[in-house]
Amino acid sequence: MPSRNPSVRPSPAALAFLVLFLLLCGSGSAAAQAVSVEIGAVYASNEGSSMDPVLGNIRGKLQSMFNYTSYRLLDRKRRSLAVGETGEFELPGRRTMRVTPVPAQGNKVRLSVQITEGAKNLLTTTLGLSRGGMVLVGGPSHQAGVLILIISAE
Amino acid sequence: MIVEKVDGLLPREGQGELSAHLAACAGCAAEERAASAVGPLLRAWTGARAAENAPRLDAMWTRVRAVIGERREENRRRAWIPRWAWLPAALALAVLAFLFYPTGTARQPFNPRSFDVAVEDVESDVATVALVDKGEDLPRVIWIMEDAKS
Repeated sequence: MPSRNPSVRPSPAALAFLVLFLLLCGSGSAAAQAVSVEIGAVYASNEGSSMDPVLGNIRGKLQSMFNYTSYRLLDRKRRSLAVGETGEFELPGRRTMRVTPVPAQGNKVRLSVQITEGAKNLLTTTLGLSRGGMVLVGGPSHQAGVLILIISAE
Repeated sequence: MIVEKVDGLLPREGQGELSAHLAACAGCAAEERAASAVGPLLRAWTGARAAENAPRLDAMWTRVRAVIGERREENRRRAWIPRWAWLPAALALAVLAFLFYPTGTARQPFNPRSFDVAVEDVESDVATVALVDKGEDLPRVIWIMEDAKS
């Protein structure tokens, strides 16, 4: 009687791997179109002289750009947004930032950004960044200093 | 010497001396006969006990062999599963790690790779907005000067 060769028998594990691989391929292309938006809210003031170590590599940048003596990260949020999807980020001082990725070409990311304080429109802008790029929005008053908002997109 | 003889430990030169004594001493001869009879009696007794227990030992050994065979088969079946499973599992893990392992930017907060930013339009209802550009190695800043508060 001819024996069946176990090396060519299809295995449930191999089939599961194939299905998983196909699913991952699908999710990978979707992930390539999504934009990971990170918003950080930094409180800058002249009260004391401290630098929040969480600010990492941009501590030096902040110190060379602004004349404040104290910088503290109040909040940091990251959200993955599809093109056309609006992400809402709560900011200190009853302010809100809405970020919507808009269509862009190549490795670029375009973000439509709106910052509101209650019903008031503080800022509406459209930014074009490279993936991994960063821009700062500063000026809104907060306590004895100002807010500096870090917007980065990956 | 009698005990040594019975145990087979008596040297050859002592055996002649003992035999001569046993021939002359009835008491020692009787003791030697009694001691020599113990060994065969013990052997006969243990042989009888072994014969009595032989069927039970055979049955136990049969069960032990059956259990050993079952375990061997079980191990063989277990070994078959990892042979198929480890490769796709490892590949799936590698793909997942490749897709979802955070990049350098994600691992450390605010580690930008570029400050190249185009501000396409700016608008505010309640503030004056200024663009501050201090060079390629510094981030571009959109500065909001709130009119009512300035």
